[in-house]
Amino acid sequence: MKRSLAAVTAFLLAVTGCGSGGDAEDSGPITLTLAGWSLATTPEFKTLADGFRGTHPDITIELKEYDANNYDTQMTADLAAGKAPDVYVQKNLKNFYTYQHGKQLADVSDVAAKLGSSVGGLAPYQVDGKTWAIPYRSDSWVLFYNKALFDKAGVEHPDGTWTWERYSAAAKELTTKLKASGSKALGTYQHTWQSTAQGFALAQTAGAELPSGNFGYLKPYYETALGLQTAGAQVSFGDATTNSLTYQAQFGKQQAAMMPMGTWYIATLLSQQAKGDADSFAWGIAPAPQLTTSATPVTFADPTGFGINPKSSERKIAAAKDFLAYAAGPDAAKALAGIGVTPADNASAVDTILALEGAPNDEVSRLAYTKHDTKPENPVSEYTAPLQNVLKDLHTAIMSGSKPIDAAITEAQDRAESEVLSK
Amino acid sequence: MTTLSRPIPVVLRPTTPRRSRSWRLLGYLALAAASAGVLLPFYWMVMSSLKTNNDVFTLPVEWIAADPVWSNYADIWAKSDMTTWLGNTVLLSATVTFLQVFTGSFAAYGFAKIRFPGRDALFLAYIGTLAVPWQSYMVPQFVMMSKLQLTDTLWSIVALQAFGALGVFMMKQFYETVPDELLDAARIDGMSEYGIYRRIMLPLSAPALASLALITLVTTWNDYLGPLLYLRSPDLWTIQLGLKSFISQYNAEHALIMTGSVLSVLPIVVIFLAGQRYFVEGIATTGLKG
Amino acid sequence: MSAARARWRTTAVGLSFLLPNFLGFLILTLVPVVLLFYYGFTEWDVFGGATWSGLDNFRRMWGDASFWTALGNTGYYAVFHIPLTLAVSLGLALLLNRKLRGVGFFRTVAFFPYITSVVAIAQIWNMLFSPGFGPVNEVLRWLGVANPPGWTTSADASMPAVILVGTWRDMGYYMLLFLAGLQTIPGQLYEAARVDGANAWQRFRAVTLPGLRPTTFFITVLLTIGSFKVFDLILVMTDGGPGQSTLVLSQYIYKKGFQENEFGYASAVSIVLFAICFLVTVVQFVVNKRGSS
Repeated sequence: MKRSLAAVTAFLLAVTGCGSGGDAEDSGPITLTLAGWSLATTPEFKTLADGFRGTHPDITIELKEYDANNYDTQMTADLAAGKAPDVYVQKNLKNFYTYQHGKQLADVSDVAAKLGSSVGGLAPYQVDGKTWAIPYRSDSWVLFYNKALFDKAGVEHPDGTWTWERYSAAAKELTTKLKASGSKALGTYQHTWQSTAQGFALAQTAGAELPSGNFGYLKPYYETALGLQTAGAQVSFGDATTNSLTYQAQFGKQQAAMMPMGTWYIATLLSQQAKGDADSFAWGIAPAPQLTTSATPVTFADPTGFGINPKSSERKIAAAKDFLAYAAGPDAAKALAGIGVTPADNASAVDTILALEGAPNDEVSRLAYTKHDTKPENPVSEYTAPLQNVLKDLHTAIMSGSKPIDAAITEAQDRAESEVLSK
Repeated sequence: MTTLSRPIPVVLRPTTPRRSRSWRLLGYLALAAASAGVLLPFYWMVMSSLKTNNDVFTLPVEWIAADPVWSNYADIWAKSDMTTWLGNTVLLSATVTFLQVFTGSFAAYGFAKIRFPGRDALFLAYIGTLAVPWQSYMVPQFVMMSKLQLTDTLWSIVALQAFGALGVFMMKQFYETVPDELLDAARIDGMSEYGIYRRIMLPLSAPALASLALITLVTTWNDYLGPLLYLRSPDLWTIQLGLKSFISQYNAEHALIMTGSVLSVLPIVVIFLAGQRYFVEGIATTGLKG
Repeated sequence: MSAARARWRTTAVGLSFLLPNFLGFLILTLVPVVLLFYYGFTEWDVFGGATWSGLDNFRRMWGDASFWTALGNTGYYAVFHIPLTLAVSLGLALLLNRKLRGVGFFRTVAFFPYITSVVAIAQIWNMLFSPGFGPVNEVLRWLGVANPPGWTTSADASMPAVILVGTWRDMGYYMLLFLAGLQTIPGQLYEAARVDGANAWQRFRAVTLPGLRPTTFFITVLLTIGSFKVFDLILVMTDGGPGQSTLVLSQYIYKKGFQENEFGYASAVSIVLFAICFLVTVVQFVVNKRGSS
């Protein structure tokens, strides 16, 4: 028994000791691996890889497919085992801290220094004066609205200056008038995600900060959300979660006249309308409703960026940096806009994206797309992931009516203090 | 318990004719009603698989697909790589089931019928690992598999599923019901332990082997997290992994989720129908003196 | 042959039976599990080395309200799910362990929930439980219940809803194990009992229950461990909500590890979960040993 155990241990040590062989070649063509997800329906990775190959014929980008919903779980395992690709995506900011703090990202400050000033979403990737990832997409939340339903109900279209108060009033008015005209559609649809209330609250309230552990700023936003629900101007949270309602169907099948959502939905809606999965109707986007009227609408969303695996060879890291610079640049921006994706460089994309077949090209939509102050949904800090989990519980407790707003906020503050911030 | 025990004598012994017919009819009616209740969700699944995506979740619920979309089945077959996934899954399920049943019952014989020092401690270690949630050790396990160069091969899933403690535990419990006198008699006749295992234990344990095989098969067939973590190349995907990633590609295609679920359940149903006939009173007990 | 040699021989033969399974088990399960016990005493971000932190994780757990909530919910689930499933699956097995026309069909029906993918199950049951429009509440209203529960969307009724679905899903699995166990009871025992004039209930008490003892023990242990480790069903049905009303330990471990990157702390919580399961199992072992002797 003892002897066989020792033999097995020796065997294990032997396999543990053997590392992966490095690549010896230091000239000639080079292949970089790039992580992506749902490759068949998410063309952005291939678009970038092909576009990059146009200017760098020596560097081939090979795509590695990950699961869209479990991307970070798979990537964590791959990084831990030393099997991760050379370039991988920071899908949101919540996990960026984990990768950066876990030393799984190479320093790309030199790439960042050469970027144009119109590239949005770079700041969150800067920690301790260095840059650890480069954004290539930078969406932001806007208000989608169904022009046909607005006209049917005889309600004025959003003019770009709406507050939450004005938005709620419109939602209620739409609901009543649409019902009178025989339509089943409700005034608005705020999806079941915590961000539909909390993202706006954090971005728009002066002085609101996640790590402060003080969540009083959430109150007016939940009052609005619950108000809409009680008035019947929006599907109740319980019915939406239990019936797995999707925001694509709620807006695309004209179940709701308005919907706050990220700009990524533009591409989805266009393709669903073209395929017939969504109804055909005229729609537009308006700036997200505000707490108080402001010159530049304040909204939120996390950028999506590329980071480099520091375990790659030096030569690959150098090639990967070229790729990152390309992905954030104006050429890539145009290519991405062509497939409906909002690139980090918003300004150079607006003419392409809003000119796509079926996309709205009115003044308010252009304003909504170009002019906004986009704050991160998950400000980078070691407390963000656990605090967002605490706030997710708060969200489901309030929205399901299990707890009154004040009690839920007090409980979340207590939990934040004792479980997260005091560590 | 009391309510359950009442019909037992009646159906077990159809020789009491007076009450038996009406009881039997009542029993069937109750069974049919219960079956309908159990199958209702599956009915809804089939109906949803025949709807368009945006019609699956509606308020209020639609119980009948007014305009069945049979093309969902053709679509999922055409757009996805179903044949590859099915092939991989069948291969994996068969290999894992064979290994689990063989090594599990083999080891269980050692645990149940041979006395040697350290046996009970070792057995406790087996059971102990059942009590540890997989998600807490899956990363160390992944790193280990990666060192053995097993990740992204079908072998990783075989390794993951085939040597679990469940089979050992289950077969051991079963073997303990076989009286020692029977084995001692065989030993006196000069049969080796391996002979006893093969000639006496295996034939006696057909029902237990059948249920272990079925359970292992279903677990391997339906496993999602294992393949998700270990299989990255699309040509290695199993049916669950393939279907889920197919579905997540086509954002919110709920009708297709249901189509896929129906398709992945059907083969198991067939196998179960075939396998359940091993649970007939008498098979195990023939030749056994209690 | 000397006694010592004979003993050595028996040990060698015994080990030879274990070897094929044990090798795989050792490398792929036991070693990672033992590592986990080490990580429970460290601070570990999964990528780099772990720093030894002694009992810090356990001290932190003591003051962690969410851990206690998760522990309480896990206990709540187990206390109801275990006896309920045990009774239902044993009942099903007794009912379907006979020569009955169409018995194969009914067994398949009972096993059906277990083979259906858990995602589909969660979606369907959530829909059935939907507070405003779901069929369950329509029926309750029809029966005259004025304020039917909100099921998975209310803090009070979410756990009962999950327990019901858990039992519905698991009953076929344990029925199968009971069916296998029932085959081990010699038919002669029933005959003898009948000759003695025992009625059905007495035969159940005197023959079926004792004959099923090894199976019942096995099932109880599995069911206990399975209930304490319940994960995927809750993850897809309620994701622990609303609030923390259905947060269970396995899910808490996953959250702490993969979402918050505290694998050391997650490992420590796993050790506690393990200890609870193990303790309960050992108690069951002792009770079983005492009962059988």
